[in-house]
Amino acid sequence: MSRIETEHHDGTSDATPGGYEGQRRPGELVFGAVMVIASLVLLWNAYGISGFEALSAPGSVPMATTAVMAVTALVIFLRDLRLPRVAGETVAKDILPGPVLVIALMLVAYGVLLKPLGFLPTSALFLIAALKMLARRGWLWTIGVSLGSLLLIWIIFRIVFTVLMPAGIVPEAEAIQAFRNLFAGGK
Amino acid sequence: MDAFLAFLTVFTQPELLLLVGVGTFAGVYVGAIPGLSVTMAVSILISFTFSWDVYPAISLMIGIFMGGVYGGSRTAILLNIPGAPSAIATALDGYPMAQRGEAGTAIGITTVMSFFGGFIGIAVLALAAPLVSDFALKFQPRDYMLLAVLGILLVGSLSSGSLVKGIFAGALGIAIGAVGRDPLTFTERFTFDLSIMQGGISFIAVMIGMFGVSEALMQLHHVDKTAVRQKISRIVPSFSTIRKHLPLSLQTSTIGVIIGALPGTGGDIAALMAYDHAKRVTKKPQYPFGKGAIEGLVAPETANNAAVGGAFIPMMTLGIPGDAVTAIMIGALFIHGLNPGPMLMIDQPDMFWFIVGALVTANFFMLLFGLTGIKLFTKIVEMPRAVLIPLIMLLSIVGAYAVNNSITDVYWMLGFGFFGYFMRHYGYPLGPVILGVILSRLLDDNWRRAIISEREDLGRFFHGIVTSPLSLVLFIAVILIFVSQTPLWTRAKGKLLGDPAEKVKQ
Repeated sequence: MSRIETEHHDGTSDATPGGYEGQRRPGELVFGAVMVIASLVLLWNAYGISGFEALSAPGSVPMATTAVMAVTALVIFLRDLRLPRVAGETVAKDILPGPVLVIALMLVAYGVLLKPLGFLPTSALFLIAALKMLARRGWLWTIGVSLGSLLLIWIIFRIVFTVLMPAGIVPEAEAIQAFRNLFAGGK
Repeated sequence: MDAFLAFLTVFTQPELLLLVGVGTFAGVYVGAIPGLSVTMAVSILISFTFSWDVYPAISLMIGIFMGGVYGGSRTAILLNIPGAPSAIATALDGYPMAQRGEAGTAIGITTVMSFFGGFIGIAVLALAAPLVSDFALKFQPRDYMLLAVLGILLVGSLSSGSLVKGIFAGALGIAIGAVGRDPLTFTERFTFDLSIMQGGISFIAVMIGMFGVSEALMQLHHVDKTAVRQKISRIVPSFSTIRKHLPLSLQTSTIGVIIGALPGTGGDIAALMAYDHAKRVTKKPQYPFGKGAIEGLVAPETANNAAVGGAFIPMMTLGIPGDAVTAIMIGALFIHGLNPGPMLMIDQPDMFWFIVGALVTANFFMLLFGLTGIKLFTKIVEMPRAVLIPLIMLLSIVGAYAVNNSITDVYWMLGFGFFGYFMRHYGYPLGPVILGVILSRLLDDNWRRAIISEREDLGRFFHGIVTSPLSLVLFIAVILIFVSQTPLWTRAKGKLLGDPAEKVKQ
């Protein structure tokens, strides 16, 4: 059969979860260990909800599920221990390459700035920086495409979907009202 | 008569008709653009349509859903990248056809066959759902609980290689769903004494994070890859081609509906089984299977679209989703105050018939958009990822924020986005997580109801399972999935059947 090329079967598509059968990817062991520890912490926490008070207690299902998590995480971890590493892959190159790390940090920064700065300035900064980095085109193109698509998104979501984002330092509501008054005045 | 009027709602209201059309159009392209997926689109859209009335919101989402299931086949054919799990089998013969220069024919046949399969699925839904929901009224709480477990297990075991990872993901989802104050006793669960945790974690934040941000981050690995330009010529297939494959498409549609209707199995499994079926019944294909056989395209495409109607049966009558996409649709219904389950058909039959009507409409639009707009299509598919990825991220943030106007949800969304990114890398399926979150409440409630009615006695609980045929069947199914993963079973199966997994793959 012809193999389906899924672009480096790494989970890019929903159809193809990443991971390699019979091999372990860089960092997989650490991830597995963190899952085991996290499951145990959650299990302990679930036990604290109501202990073994009754089968119908609020903590029963959480305890059962976290127990399942702990057991499966442990099975996965022990299985991974025995597997050989994927040759030629490193964390820095295949799991967390520079651009991914930078974009992830930019997303965190976005989250922090969203409330104080407001949706429009934060998004503009984010789009310009991300586009500049990813597309590596001139400033004019970058700023033009960023602001153009931001304006489109803002119009669609603010006006069609009536989503209210934090206004921050931009007097958004006033601007819209002034705009409305302008049209109302024209009539 | 009321049912018929409800069915016609979409056709009589231009606004709804337009929304289904827009949704289907968007769905086809979302499914077709590598890097965008239906699960992503519907999860983000749920948050934006949150404040809408229920009819327009559902219209839009059904359009996206229907269009997206079909749209996934485009990338499968043109780029050999299945745009959705249900298009995996489509790539097997679709891509070789495109390589032969018959991309247009492949897309045309896919479109017509998807339309055909879609109709059969919807017809079965309309006929069977009222019966199933009557039957479902007899379900005991324990049956619901078993069904939920079965659904999560099936999604975990069938959608990817490793069942253990699937079970882990499902259990994680149930745990995430349990965060916050317990609705029955008001006890805090997994809140770590933090006040922001008391309200629980918004499942939309989880969904958008896992299917929006994590996928966008994944795409960063391929930011420089450009789409392959394909010459697409004639696209409307000849009538004789369609007639020739009609018998096969009927069979595979039937497979699609049945597989789709099983809780936990969706279009992806349906497509693979239909493909396998086509391989067995087609005696002399013009081209061999895997080398661009038309039959290899007809089978999965009829089946995965028929599975849409099929998947709506357990979703609407039992409240149990078939896969990640239907799980998200259930989430959409929940958010609009509908409670999918047997009572939906009794309390709000209008809603059911409205959804059937919307599905039919979406199916027509799918045919229309599938056979036209090829020029536009090639342009959109070539949209550079460097622009697409930041925009998806921006939309994900807006979406997560919009539901509760809460910045906390944005943090949750980003957190699950990063977490999902690693899960994808290490082969943990994300579908079961979402299914777990959605089903967490149902599972918990029904377990407690079941065990309380048995006076907290596990012995009586199991006695109840063994003496009820329905519970027994469900219970055995759950056990079988577990046993199927033990080494003992693998060895026994190997001796008896050879390796059936290999057979399907070939």
